[in-house]
Amino acid sequence: MDDQHLLDQFFTHPDCRKVRSCIQCGTCSGSCPLAAEMDHAPRELFALIRDGEIDIALRSNTPWYCVSCYQCMDRCPQEIPVADIMYRLKQMAIAAGCQPRSHKLPDFYRAFADDMGRNGRMTETHVMARYSLKHPMDAAANMATALKLLARGRLDLIPNRTHHPAQIAALTTMCRKRGSDS
Amino acid sequence: MTVYAFFPGCAYQSAAGYRESVDALNARLDIQLQELDDWNCCGATAAFSLDEPDGLALCGRLFALAQKEGFSRIVTVCNACYTTLLKARKRMEKDPQKLAAVAHTLADQGLELADSLPDVRHYLDVLVADVSDVLEKAAADNGDTAGAVAVYYGCQYTRPWISGPDAQRPRMLERLFTKIGIHAVDHSAGTLCCGASHAVPYADACGPMIRRIVREIRNKGGGIITTICPMCQFNLDAGQTDRQTDPLPVTYFTQIIGLALGIAPKDLGLNKLLIPLRTEKKKAS
Ligand code: SF4
Ligand code: SF4
Repeated sequence: MDDQHLLDQFFTHPDCRKVRSCIQCGTCSGSCPLAAEMDHAPRELFALIRDGEIDIALRSNTPWYCVSCYQCMDRCPQEIPVADIMYRLKQMAIAAGCQPRSHKLPDFYRAFADDMGRNGRMTETHVMARYSLKHPMDAAANMATALKLLARGRLDLIPNRTHHPAQIAALTTMCRKRGSDS
Repeated sequence: MTVYAFFPGCAYQSAAGYRESVDALNARLDIQLQELDDWNCCGATAAFSLDEPDGLALCGRLFALAQKEGFSRIVTVCNACYTTLLKARKRMEKDPQKLAAVAHTLADQGLELADSLPDVRHYLDVLVADVSDVLEKAAADNGDTAGAVAVYYGCQYTRPWISGPDAQRPRMLERLFTKIGIHAVDHSAGTLCCGASHAVPYADACGPMIRRIVREIRNKGGGIITTICPMCQFNLDAGQTDRQTDPLPVTYFTQIIGLALGIAPKDLGLNKLLIPLRTEKKKAS
C-alpha cells in the first residue's frame, strides 16, 4: 500500500482526523510515562504524520509503547483522543504488516489473542508460555516470581475456559489471523 | 439483597485473595454478584490493538449475556475490564452501525443484542454509591488493623471517564475509608501508571514507574498500598519484591475494608500476597 493511501485511510478516521487541530504544545509527550522509550513521543509522531510521514509513524515503536494510561487524553487542550489514535495506528500497522519487528508487544498481544481464541478466556500461564517461545529471557526473569505464585496457589494450573470456546474463536478471527501473520 | 450481574474477568481467579475478600464482603453486606453464565474474555488492550470489530464483538457478547439475564448493569473488579467494556459501550452507542454489525455477528451464534446496552460499574462504585451506609454500620471496633493505607487507583478507573480534578486525584475510596475508621494517607501517586501489560516484556522501563509510586507513598507516610485492579496489584507487589529492601505490602481495597469489618485476615486471602501484610488487633478506644 502506498503512503498516500495510508494517509487517506488515517485521516478519514474520525478520531485521527482530530490530529489536524494539534497545536504541538507537547502536553501529551510531557505527560507520557513511556515517552523516553518511544522513538517519537506523541507530539512528534503527530508532527510527522501531518508532514505525510505515515510510513515512519506505522513503523515506529510509539503506539506499541502506549499503555493506555490516558494521561495525554485527559490533559490535551485540544481534546485530541491521543490514546485512541495509538490503537488505530496499531491496527493499521498490523494490517499493513509493518509493525516494528523489534518491539515485543505484538508478540504479547498475539499470544493473548491465541489463548482467547482457543479457550474463550485468558490464562496467564498460557499467554506467558506462548510468548516465552519467542522471548525466553523474559520468562527466565520471571521464574522467581512464578515460583512464589506457585507456593501461594496463584499459578493458573487449571485453564480458564468458556463452555463454548468455538463461539469466541468465531468472534476473534481477525485478531487471530493477524496474530499468525509473522 | 441487591443482585448485580458480575463479570469477574480472567485475572480474578489467580489474584491474591481478591475473590476471597469480595466474597466475604458480599456475605457481610448482603450483596449478590451473579456471575455472567459462560462469560468470555473482554479482549483487554490486546483485541482493540489488533482489530476493533473483534474487540467490540467480544464486549458485545458480554452485554448480550447480561441482557439475556435481564440485567441493566454489569459489575467488574478490574480496571482493564472496566475500561474495555465502557469503551465498547461508548463506541457502539455513538455509532449505531457498529452496534448493528456486532448484533449481526452475535445473531449467528443465537445471541440477541438489544439497543439499550447495560451500564458498566466497578465494584468500588457499588460499595461507595449503594452500600456505604451499611458499611458504616458494619464497621467493627474490635477487628484487625494494618496501619496507614495509601489508595492506588491506577489509570483506567478514572481516565478517560471522569474529567476535572477527580481524573488525576480521585478521593472516593479515601472518603469511604475515613467513614469506617481506616486511616487513609494523602499522596499524589494515586493515578500514576504502573506499566500495565508492559511490566513483563519491558520490566526495565516499568521499574522506575513502580518505584516512583512506592517512593511517593512512603514519603507521605503510607505503610500499605491498596489497589482496585488485579494488574495494578500484581505489578506493584511483584515489582517490589526483588528491588526494595523494605517493600510496602500491596493489598486489594476489599481486603482492607474486610479487616475494618472485623473479618479475619485468613478469610480475606491475605496469605496470598507476595509481600506479607502484618496486622494487629485494634486497641479498644
Ligand atoms: S497535548 Fe494535544 S495539542 Fe498538545 S501536542 Fe499533544 S496532541 Fe497536540
Ligand atoms: S495513553 Fe499512551 S501515549 Fe498517552 S500518556 Fe499514556 S502511554 Fe503515553
